[in-house]
Amino acid sequence: MPELYRIRRLQATLAADSGSSGTPSKDGDTVLPSPEASPSELPLSQLSAAAAPAVDSFGRLQRRLLAATLVVTVVVTLISWPLFGASAARSLLLGGCCGLLYVRLLARSVARIGPDSRSVGRFQIVVPALLVVAAARIPALELLPALLGFLLYKPALLLQAVLAP
Amino acid sequence: MSDLTSAASVLAAALAVGLAAIGPGIGQGTAAGKAVEGIARQPEAEGKIRGTLLLSLAFMEALTIYGLVVALVLLFANPFAG
Repeated sequence: MPELYRIRRLQATLAADSGSSGTPSKDGDTVLPSPEASPSELPLSQLSAAAAPAVDSFGRLQRRLLAATLVVTVVVTLISWPLFGASAARSLLLGGCCGLLYVRLLARSVARIGPDSRSVGRFQIVVPALLVVAAARIPALELLPALLGFLLYKPALLLQAVLAP
Repeated sequence: MSDLTSAASVLAAALAVGLAAIGPGIGQGTAAGKAVEGIARQPEAEGKIRGTLLLSLAFMEALTIYGLVVALVLLFANPFAG
């Protein structure tokens, strides 16, 4: 199955690169035009170069999400510092950093999904758990700002979903 | 904290995590499976499919996180502890 997936992926990328579009079959699958060279005849550099655009758009989205989360976190921290004090701003910043880490780990587990593994990793759940435990145990941190800081990745996601081209 | 409050808090924490994980768990499994099917059907759209999956998984997993936070607050920063 993974071999078939790789061959179909390569064929589709080559077809997309050459500008030819597949014709839909009766079951909704796209019947791809047969390339002149079989995948096994192509050099490895050409294979990776052909498969790059699809993966690259996901990488771009990932980077945009992380950058948007970082910007939102910094802006909210700077606003909350004079309004609610240094302790709340510190907790908010820590929560925002945890949110960044969470998004990064979630993106990594999404990138790992493929024909070999269909399940989403659960490791990223550890991040908010550790944050809440730390905010509850360490007196210098506040629980509510830390939680709100962690959830700052959501406005970034919403912005991304709304403004995505 | 009285014994009754402790017991109720532990039970509530277990219920919060357990119940909050059911729905998103089913949803995430379905979404990931469909995304893999979509990538296998249209490999040229892999980047878009993965991006959409990332956004939807982030929103779904937030529901689990809410339950987790409620449970951890009950366990480590219980407001009913007196």
